[in-house]
Amino acid sequence: MTSLAAPAAAGDWQQPGIVRRNLGLVAAAILAIFWIAPIVILSLNAFKTPNEFLMTSNLAWPASFNIFANIQHAWAKGLSGGFINSLIYGIVGSVGAVILASFAAYGIVRLKLPQGLFWFLLIYSGTIWPFQMYLIPLFNAYLQTGIYDSKLGMILFYITICIPFCTFVMRGFFLTVPWEIQEAAYVDGANSWTVFWKIMFPMARAPIILLSLIQFTWIWNDLLFGLVLSKSPGVRPVMVALVGMQGVYGAQDAPSVIAATLICSAPTLLLFLFLQRYFVRGLTLGVSGGR
Amino acid sequence: MPAVATTTPQSLSRAATAKVPGTRLMGRVEPYLYVLPAAVFVVAFLLYPMVLTVIRSFTHDDGITTPTFAGFDNFINLFLDPHFIASLQNTFIWTIAAVVLPVTLGLAFAITINGVRWSTFFKSVIYLPATISAAAVGILFSFIFGYDNGALNSLLNIFGVHNVRWLFESPINTYSMIGAYTWQSTGLNMMLFLVGLQGLPQEPIEAAKLDGCTGFGLIWRIILPMMMPYVVIATLLAVVNGFKVFDQIWVMTQGGPGRSSETLAVTMYREGFIMFNQGYSAAIAVIIALAALIFSYFYLRSVLDQEKQI
Repeated sequence: MTSLAAPAAAGDWQQPGIVRRNLGLVAAAILAIFWIAPIVILSLNAFKTPNEFLMTSNLAWPASFNIFANIQHAWAKGLSGGFINSLIYGIVGSVGAVILASFAAYGIVRLKLPQGLFWFLLIYSGTIWPFQMYLIPLFNAYLQTGIYDSKLGMILFYITICIPFCTFVMRGFFLTVPWEIQEAAYVDGANSWTVFWKIMFPMARAPIILLSLIQFTWIWNDLLFGLVLSKSPGVRPVMVALVGMQGVYGAQDAPSVIAATLICSAPTLLLFLFLQRYFVRGLTLGVSGGR
Repeated sequence: MPAVATTTPQSLSRAATAKVPGTRLMGRVEPYLYVLPAAVFVVAFLLYPMVLTVIRSFTHDDGITTPTFAGFDNFINLFLDPHFIASLQNTFIWTIAAVVLPVTLGLAFAITINGVRWSTFFKSVIYLPATISAAAVGILFSFIFGYDNGALNSLLNIFGVHNVRWLFESPINTYSMIGAYTWQSTGLNMMLFLVGLQGLPQEPIEAAKLDGCTGFGLIWRIILPMMMPYVVIATLLAVVNGFKVFDQIWVMTQGGPGRSSETLAVTMYREGFIMFNQGYSAAIAVIIALAALIFSYFYLRSVLDQEKQI
């Protein structure tokens, strides 16, 4: 499939003349302005003091410059814990899932696990079911085993929920690796463990980076499982902390809540901006664009 | 999606296993050691709970006393429950709207942006909302839809329209939330369609232009028909996603006022984790799963058909 990064040539059929070309540009610009407006308007409101926010229209230009105080409030009122928790969950969860999924795909494809397709489908079937199917038994089991509202419990779950999609992608990748490489390594006396770490894993760098990004974003953005499996500020992920903050301070200190929302959105937004190319490739590769 | 069902060439597989060094026993056990951790995680945290949910849906279970077998009671009661029926209706509205709006807009945006100067920049802007969480979108739009001084009402005031209660009245709050959802999910559809547009064969387009077919005629008669496979995939994907929306509703209305804007996912959460009707809640989960399975089947089938054509 052609990359999205080369748009010019393919679009030529649309704009025959110079007038029409500019017409398209104007239309695209209007769309973009319209689409970005909500974020811009709310960003401006993050500069206001709570009082100013209540007294003026949201469309009014901010008269005060209270952004740093608002960020400070947001950070102190519970965002800090959630932010750091989710950073841990996102990194450990995505890396853990990618490694375990790579092991599984390596075993199935490269080591010729008997009935490999069955094992693959067993793992991949984790993507089919809607999340609602897991919630109640997970909640009960977490309570019984004592990992409810613990970092360990959150990490274990986030690793698991990311494994099926990662296995799917890594399996697709390992199918494309030439067999001669593996055989040559065995002739040289390497075992499967060294072949995995020294040959396969480095070769798979591109899909591994891509998967880690997608899974980090997913974990970071998760609300539902955070709501169900955690409650205390020391454990709950960032989106749960954010939503809790809106419930408590949404009315009296809106600018802080808006600032908090922007802070929480920054990591995934920056990831996308810096690594757009990988994300776009992910779209063509997974279509689902996510887990 | 890369071919899901391709199997590895058998001739190569034998050659490869023969070369695996070490004892024969180790060679046979080894692949399992790599696959087991992932499989154990998935079975323990996903598949086993899934089975338990199915079993629980056939029990009376309040989360405290011992569950008792209930047969199809939960499912029958669901369809006698006005809250569930309302939730089902909302889910239906959500699914339809979440398909029609983002897919149509996504296609229109893709056609507008494709080939325009600085298109990479415009693409990023439209896709931007898709990179932030549904919860954050919910919070942002709660302010946009604010009653007293929210941006939307302030804008409408300029045109002499009185304040609208965007989020506090049913059914308008459902439409407001769908608006926020559309803002977020149009970008993904646009990206899909841009991939499609770039892959279109140029010959029929050139031929049509030679015959004097340009502008909207060209788009309507030539481009759209060729884009149909992508429209089908985007539509089914949108159904699967729109059907399961939870985060945004939970953040913006919590299914309220009362329980008027709940969808199935929200009703399931409320019954299971706020009212602790676990058996009843599990039955809703099973209904969601059944619907999702049907949608996913058609989705996967059309994706695989598409793969074959390419």
